[in-house]
Amino acid sequence: MNFPAGLKYSQDHEWVKAIDETTALVGITDFAQSELGDLVFINLPQEGGEVTAGESFCDVESVKAVSDVISPVTGVIEEVNTGLEDEPQLLNEDPYGAWIAKIKDISVFGELMAADEYEAFVQKQ
Amino acid sequence: MSDLKRTQLYGVHIAAGATMVDFGGWEMPIEYPAKIVAEHLYTRHACSLFDVSHMGRILVEGPEMVPFLQHVLSSNVMALDLNQAQYAIIPNENGGAVDDAYLYRFEEDRYLLVVNAANTDKDLAHLQAQIKNYDAKMTVITGEWAAIAVQGPKAKEVLQALSGGEAITEPVKNALNTLQFEGRTVRVAKTGYTGEPIGYEVYIESGEAEWLWNRLVELGARPAGLGARDTCRLEACLPLYGHEMGGGPEGKEIPVFAVPLAKFAVSFSGQKGDFIGREPLAKQYEAFKRIQNRDFSDLADLPRRVMPVTLLDKGVMRAGMPVYKGDKHIGYVTSGTMVPYYRHEGEGLQTVILDEAAKRSIGLALVDSDTLEDDEVQIDVRGRRLKAVIPPYHMRVDAPPFARPIIYRPDEEDGAAASGDRAPKALELIGRAIENHVWRQEQCVNLIPSEMTPSRAVRLLCASDPSFRYAEHKKVKSFYDADVFYYQGTGFIDEVEQLLVEEMKAFMGCAEAETRCISGQMSNTCVFSALMDWKNRLNRKQDPQRLGYIMNNHIIKGGHLSAQPMGALHDYIAIDPVTERHALVNFPVLKDNIYKIDVEETKKAIDQYRPEFIIFGKSMVLHKEPVAAIRKHVDEMGLQTTIMYDMAHVLGLIGDYFQKPFQEGAEIVTGSTHKTFFGPQRGIVGVNYKKGELKYGLWETIETRAFPGSVSNHHLGTQLGLLMAAYEMNQFKDEYQKAVVSNAKSFARSLKAAGLDVAGDPANDYTETHQVIVNVGYGAGPDIAMRLERNGIICNYQATPEEEGFTASGALRMGVNEMTRFGFGPAGFDKLAQIMADCILRGKEVKEDIAKLRQGYTEMKYCFTEGQVLDALNELAKKSGI
Repeated sequence: MNFPAGLKYSQDHEWVKAIDETTALVGITDFAQSELGDLVFINLPQEGGEVTAGESFCDVESVKAVSDVISPVTGVIEEVNTGLEDEPQLLNEDPYGAWIAKIKDISVFGELMAADEYEAFVQKQ
Repeated sequence: MSDLKRTQLYGVHIAAGATMVDFGGWEMPIEYPAKIVAEHLYTRHACSLFDVSHMGRILVEGPEMVPFLQHVLSSNVMALDLNQAQYAIIPNENGGAVDDAYLYRFEEDRYLLVVNAANTDKDLAHLQAQIKNYDAKMTVITGEWAAIAVQGPKAKEVLQALSGGEAITEPVKNALNTLQFEGRTVRVAKTGYTGEPIGYEVYIESGEAEWLWNRLVELGARPAGLGARDTCRLEACLPLYGHEMGGGPEGKEIPVFAVPLAKFAVSFSGQKGDFIGREPLAKQYEAFKRIQNRDFSDLADLPRRVMPVTLLDKGVMRAGMPVYKGDKHIGYVTSGTMVPYYRHEGEGLQTVILDEAAKRSIGLALVDSDTLEDDEVQIDVRGRRLKAVIPPYHMRVDAPPFARPIIYRPDEEDGAAASGDRAPKALELIGRAIENHVWRQEQCVNLIPSEMTPSRAVRLLCASDPSFRYAEHKKVKSFYDADVFYYQGTGFIDEVEQLLVEEMKAFMGCAEAETRCISGQMSNTCVFSALMDWKNRLNRKQDPQRLGYIMNNHIIKGGHLSAQPMGALHDYIAIDPVTERHALVNFPVLKDNIYKIDVEETKKAIDQYRPEFIIFGKSMVLHKEPVAAIRKHVDEMGLQTTIMYDMAHVLGLIGDYFQKPFQEGAEIVTGSTHKTFFGPQRGIVGVNYKKGELKYGLWETIETRAFPGSVSNHHLGTQLGLLMAAYEMNQFKDEYQKAVVSNAKSFARSLKAAGLDVAGDPANDYTETHQVIVNVGYGAGPDIAMRLERNGIICNYQATPEEEGFTASGALRMGVNEMTRFGFGPAGFDKLAQIMADCILRGKEVKEDIAKLRQGYTEMKYCFTEGQVLDALNELAKKSGI
């Protein structure tokens, strides 16, 4: 299981990679993809839409079930990774490269953990 | 998960890193580290192992086991022969399902019932309440025997590595066998829940389960979990209890007939008596039939049915999501997910399965019964209405060894031929016909055993004037059975036909011959129709009775398509009310030579079934048929059985070097005149009934089933050509037949010496006919036959008696008849064998070698070649303008 040091992590198993003080990329963690199993579909949010920390902004589907992706931040969607529509398996293969959305105008960062904290959090799951 | 039960294979799942889940009270692998998508795809292109030991296995035995099973199952247990399995529902009193199940008959005196793991306790309680009324008992053996499903196109190969090459089961669905895998007894069923056309379920004693699993993994099979099992069964549209059966999405019980498989799983045979749920099931069946006829006026007994559904928009459907047609809520998704498949390209037999995988969003839905195939529907996917369609199916399995995903595509409109000037097309057609003629006649070696190039004389006669005429005629009793013709100008044709009848009678060695049938298949239809008509001649005031029992060669064992229920027997064979199947029994074959009838076993089958009609003859034929031995047995038994020999493939071999069917006791012979015989494409019927005999009436019926029963125009041109062919055959048959049989043996030996795997008995030089069968590897037949064609060797790929069908063919069927006619002898065939080995075994391009070889054999033998005949033929060509 991989927990890159430069990222922040939410309790809902999303990661946040800050680009500057109000812009960040978000995606799902290695732990999340491994729990979900083969991801076969992603329902991406609209660009320009608002997201709220702690609320669902996207859903991913594995063979077995659908799961909400909970936004770790509050802000506005600047861009979505449309490449995932055709290749949702990238979420399994490269979870930290396969960003889901780029969020701008971030006003709130939810309760986020550092890599070692998140690793400890996952161990307890 | 401490309360959960574990199968005999728990340890191997943990060792393989499986993700374990609670499944119906069992701790089972949902997936292994490869994950569901890869496991699904590996099943479809190679071979997966599924632990199905959690399923309930119940042995049923005792004097009243059959009446008990007939009472508690929906299926007709009497239809289940030894070493067969059948799908069944365990119905409740309301016409719903307590469970679905598979019934196996590995032994004469006990049945094995396999039920869903999660339902086992419920099923047992239900069955216990019933069995107390019967002298029968149930024993749960779930713990004693493990079960492993081995599924996928490589499954047979993998299992045969353990059986030491022995056939696993007969190559048909639901066949069973008990055999040894490296010294351990296993019971194998050709069944499964993945939809794979090549799939088995193997039962083995618990102590050996891990050994078997690990051996299968060593041989290349990979473990797959319940996740892939579910996606595979969904793609195959197989129902799952709790989704497509049992309680429905609105809490109402789903009627059994809502599931398409019910049609096969429910029997209303009188044999079953008043079984549980009979009355509501009968009502459902009536509704089902109305719905199939698109009468939707009364759907009360079957308001909704399970249909496949494919999402057209992007998304994933899940069980429980509502389905709409327009604004109308028509039902619910019962199962749905995204399923992977391999893309393919090319058409027909040239379809290539690519390495590139894709996914599609498919499901099953319980929808209003007036929903039709191709209907556009919408699925409410968490508030979004996504477009979907009802496809006919998600997958097909009729081109083994692969299951073929069917991607929904709307029908394309057929384009009518464009208008415009046809003259260039006419010219092009002629040019292409020349090209084809030169290619087939000068550059190719033709080894199709059912083909023959006729002589120039035959071809010219076929094209002369009678080919444009009519000459209907019928015997009239008032004129002492003289033939009366309906048209003028037919004197010559009348004479030709009488001469032809005499020549064919002389050739076949029989009392009467009917020459008007224009194909071998029509000859068979004529005889079958006549037999049925004759059977019913004494009572015309009721629906005529069909024929049964009939004994023939199974199509997979080389039986002629024409003499099967799917061929010419179609409208004439009865359904056995006990088994609800065709009243057909196949000749048993020898265990060590599957190309040969087992006479002793056949006698036993005759005693058991007392067939009214026996049909000898095959299209994949290496041996003589045991006509004399069976005739003797039938006579000793005092049976009225009619014995026919369908000699379509071997008509031209009748004589000293093969068989004399009438001398051996056949009553009727049918045949094609263009395979081993020298004629144009026609059929023939010969009988040995003489005037005054009881069955002479059958002969007269055969004549009337030829005309007016089958033909009005009996193709007079080719009939004229056939007379010439009959002259040629009666003149040259001794040399020709001797050469054909010895060439076939010699060719077989040469092929063997060149390194090819020749089928048949080496003690007979592999063949007693014109045919030679070469095994080229399971499923490799079509590719190799196409490679040979590119190189100028024309033969046909052939499924052997151990293979599932033509797309899985692993053999080539070849005949030496045509090339023998062009003068090939042992030297020519030896050269050909070496060239073929180069092409088949070493992939060498041999087109030039074949063209060169062919050029040495262009002159047709066994026909009239003297100067006078040549002059006359030139005159005929000139006068007829050909």
